[in-house]
Amino acid sequence: MSSAGHTIQPASEPPASLVPRVWHLRLDPLLVCATLGLVACSLVAIKGSTADDVAGQPYYYVERQALYAVVGLVLMYGISRFDYTRMRELKYVTYGLLIGSIVLVFAVATATRGSKRWIELPFFRFQPSELGKLLLILALSSFIVDRMRRMGRDTTARVMLLALLPAMLVMAQPDLGTSLVYLVGVLALLFVAGAPWRHFVALFALAAVSIALVLAVAPRLGVDVLKPYQVQRLTAFLNPSGDPGTAGYQQQQSRIAIGSGEKTGRGVKNATQTGLNFLPEHHTDFIFAVVGETFGFAGAALVLSLYALLVWRGLHILTVAKNLYGALIAGGITVMLLFQIFVNVGMTVGIMPITGVPAPLLSFGGSSMLVTFMAVGFLQSVHAQARETAFRKGRATVFQ
Amino acid sequence: MPPSLEERRPAITPQLALRVAVLGGVAFVLFAIVFFRLWFLQVLSGEDYVTQARENRVRKVKIEAPRGDIVDRNGERLVRTRVAPVVQIVPGGVPDAELKAADAYRVARSKAETRRLAADDQLRALERTRRAKGRRAVARRQRERARLRRAASSVHVAVPPVPAGEARLNSTYRRLGSVLGLSAQGIHRRVIEGIAEAPYSNVTIKTDVARPAFNYLKERKDEFPGVAVEKLYLRSYPHKTLGAQLFGTLREISPDELKLKKYRGVDPGTRIGKDGIEETYDRYLRGQDGYTRVIINSLGNRDDRRAVSRREPQQGQRLRLTLDLGLERAANNALKQAIAAANRNFNPAKAGAYVAMDPTDGSVLALGSYPSFDANVFAKPLSQGSFDKLNSEARGAPLFNRAIAAAYPTGSTFKPITALASLQEGILTPTQTIFDNGAFKLGPQTFKNARDARFGLLSLPRALQVSSDVFFYTLGERANSRGPIIQRWARRLGLGRPTGIDLPGEYAGLVPDRHWRDAGFARYQRCVKREKVPAQTFAALQKCGGIERPWSTGDNVNLAVGQGDLQATPLQMATAYSTIVNGGKVVRPHLAQAVEDGLGRAVQDFRTPARRHVQFSKLNQQTILDGLHRATSQTGGTSADVFQGFAGGKLPVYGKTGTVERPGQPDQAWYACYVPHPSRPIVVVVTVEKGGFGAETAAPAARLILSNWFDLGKDKFKVGTSKTR
Repeated sequence: MSSAGHTIQPASEPPASLVPRVWHLRLDPLLVCATLGLVACSLVAIKGSTADDVAGQPYYYVERQALYAVVGLVLMYGISRFDYTRMRELKYVTYGLLIGSIVLVFAVATATRGSKRWIELPFFRFQPSELGKLLLILALSSFIVDRMRRMGRDTTARVMLLALLPAMLVMAQPDLGTSLVYLVGVLALLFVAGAPWRHFVALFALAAVSIALVLAVAPRLGVDVLKPYQVQRLTAFLNPSGDPGTAGYQQQQSRIAIGSGEKTGRGVKNATQTGLNFLPEHHTDFIFAVVGETFGFAGAALVLSLYALLVWRGLHILTVAKNLYGALIAGGITVMLLFQIFVNVGMTVGIMPITGVPAPLLSFGGSSMLVTFMAVGFLQSVHAQARETAFRKGRATVFQ
Repeated sequence: MPPSLEERRPAITPQLALRVAVLGGVAFVLFAIVFFRLWFLQVLSGEDYVTQARENRVRKVKIEAPRGDIVDRNGERLVRTRVAPVVQIVPGGVPDAELKAADAYRVARSKAETRRLAADDQLRALERTRRAKGRRAVARRQRERARLRRAASSVHVAVPPVPAGEARLNSTYRRLGSVLGLSAQGIHRRVIEGIAEAPYSNVTIKTDVARPAFNYLKERKDEFPGVAVEKLYLRSYPHKTLGAQLFGTLREISPDELKLKKYRGVDPGTRIGKDGIEETYDRYLRGQDGYTRVIINSLGNRDDRRAVSRREPQQGQRLRLTLDLGLERAANNALKQAIAAANRNFNPAKAGAYVAMDPTDGSVLALGSYPSFDANVFAKPLSQGSFDKLNSEARGAPLFNRAIAAAYPTGSTFKPITALASLQEGILTPTQTIFDNGAFKLGPQTFKNARDARFGLLSLPRALQVSSDVFFYTLGERANSRGPIIQRWARRLGLGRPTGIDLPGEYAGLVPDRHWRDAGFARYQRCVKREKVPAQTFAALQKCGGIERPWSTGDNVNLAVGQGDLQATPLQMATAYSTIVNGGKVVRPHLAQAVEDGLGRAVQDFRTPARRHVQFSKLNQQTILDGLHRATSQTGGTSADVFQGFAGGKLPVYGKTGTVERPGQPDQAWYACYVPHPSRPIVVVVTVEKGGFGAETAAPAARLILSNWFDLGKDKFKVGTSKTR
């Protein structure tokens, strides 16, 4: 063997250029099962809860969600066939797209209930901050890999600053939940990349101080960083039995919905919390409460198990990734999904504040649905590439 | 080259393994928390929450939004909204026996209506053959006709009495009646009729309830079960009968309509426009209802101290029409005078219609039908009896919009269309002459000019000026050998199909041709054979309709002068004349000009492009216009004496009279005219049923309309003397 320009081929093997390249891009079957299972649950829950929402069109929301799911599946499959490592070179493009699309929202977006989050496209209302979740992971993973040799305080600070810019922009839309998702995603990247423990301690201390400033000190000085409703929503879960008509009321209704489902659920017809509209946003943010009311503990536990399966497979893929970039992407995506699941489900059962974070693959909504599918597509790509590499190196990976 | 450090797959370092384990641990803990929380909520304390869900009693109460106003082109209000206290009966609170009675009544009514329509069809068939065969009246036929006319006029179905054993209902009606000043029987009749009409909506018993009665009922809800006392928005029409047929009415949306795409997002119970402009532009006029969320306590009463949230209703948008109120009023008065003039001539006229339109873009400036009705009657509860009166032929069917839905032969106003067809198809040149000796022979038949007039050698402009029938009979015969050319041009100019005006209920009319008559005759023959009745008899007429013979040249000769089977609406004639005078643009007549917000700022302007373009030569157009101008300005012109001194001769008028021969009835008068103007061009069409000659009634009315449009001051109803058709 020499490290010079050529390598010597063993006589028994034809030259590499003559071997037809066979791809073995295997998908992770358990991850596929979890994804499809969640989509099925989503369609069932939406069908039951929105039959009367649009007069004369009982299938209005189901049809749309099914369409998003089909498009999402195609996207997911497409992305899984493609080597995610190529995204590394596009870090400036992805980061630019991320910032650009969020800024574009301020220019052209339509306001719904005081927030500007959406861009109206024909047939579709696109929410750039959703796609931003994925773009942020792809771009920052690439930055971290570039600076892998010097994983110092300096790197941590730069990565955090790169993440804070989009997070602040999204917060200004205002969309507090999504900006928190961004920050958690980046913390996960740093964690997987091996940033020292003391960095995290420092970051948490910094966060605690700034939250204290925003919630307690700034209002006294007359500067409102958060909108009043945001503060109210964030603190409402601390005293949920407050006045109806407020954020605490919504959470109260959600808890009543879930609780009244008992073990096996009240069925679609008797689900009065959903059917009589006591439950707000029942097909989007509070869809988990619909599942809880309609199908009881059995249904809710099924959905949670599917989510757990999703997270487990994500962490598994992180460990088999063929390179650090893949590991970072897998880690970032998985932790982001975990965070969204916990925040959303926690919100419906009354242990987390109301932040408007959708339940991945469950809530109605095209942007969230498509982006989650794309994210799962990247997980599958990391998995497929790992299998491929292992195969080419002639050794089997651990179980799948 | 070995792969770079970044590209190489990192072996799972102990450090990474530890961190993945930490992540896994965190995930496990989070899922565990949620699982336990769910277990706690659903399994351990589920029953408490079931109770809470039952006790949940927040309800939405709708706050109705007022509809937008309708204004004329100058911003004058034609339709507005007012608030009125009303008393209603809620169908849900009515006993089943009463609902069943209403249902039986509905079935009986629809059967009676079917019988009425059948009688009406037979009557029409009878009239048609009478027209074709002349005025031979047999005594038996006349008796039959009188019977049919009675049967076709209206339906009388008795309202069943209050079901026996409903003492409680009877007592409610009696007590309610004494508060409102109505009889118990009257309330019962309203309820039955209302539920039969729309089983899903509240029945209004009385509007504009006096304040003491309103308060009395409101305070004693428990004593009047099933009675709703509310303030409702009602439509009001300050100009009462003026243009009443244009606006349409309001009523609650039906379950079937809720499924339609155009009513997407409309809640059940919303009142929507029915007929007329209210229907066509419903989505602009309809506002957005608001609501209050209120908490209902365990007794089922509203707890108003704890109103949860409120969305304010938004009034609908304002619709600006192209209509000119002043012109509409003038036209209505002119038509009234025309009818009075006809009556002085012993013609029993009582109905008519007018259309005034901008020929360049189809903006309708005035459109109306006489007799009319006070549009405000529909804002109040209307008994079946009064509704039948509004529909009855004997009273001139005031609900019927004759300008768009009544089709008649048009008489000589059709001649410019025949002329254009003949010139364009080359069976006549602009200078070619035809000799009019007063009669036109076709086989055994002889067609004559009215009053046996003879006009001698005529070119087209002069033939239009004096309205020679023989000239056009000749063209009709020539055209027949060339196929349906008159029919083709009539259709190109907009006859025989709806004009596309923005009002529902338009009638397509009929341009008779060989195909139509032969197909109808074939049906007649098959029917006669099937029914085994002798053809051409009265029995055959009753069963098989009136098309008793195939197409003949005579039909085309009749069509050439606008008689016979031709059916056209005044609006279609206005469109046809517009097309001729504007050089071939078939405009789409329309009433809507713009949608505005409450302050009169335009939100959306309606653009109404022409439907299609027709090509014809400038020379031919000029020849026809020359004839129409001569008719109003030169001695011997059919309406020359009517327009003598009009505008001091400064405004040229292009007009054509028409007189339709109707078998067994006095003639019907028509007039169609055009006045060019750089900023205010106008086409006016007037028709008076049983009004006599066109020059006697329709043309003077048209002159009054034009005088108003061009602000010529007070003008007189100037009766013409021309006795040509």
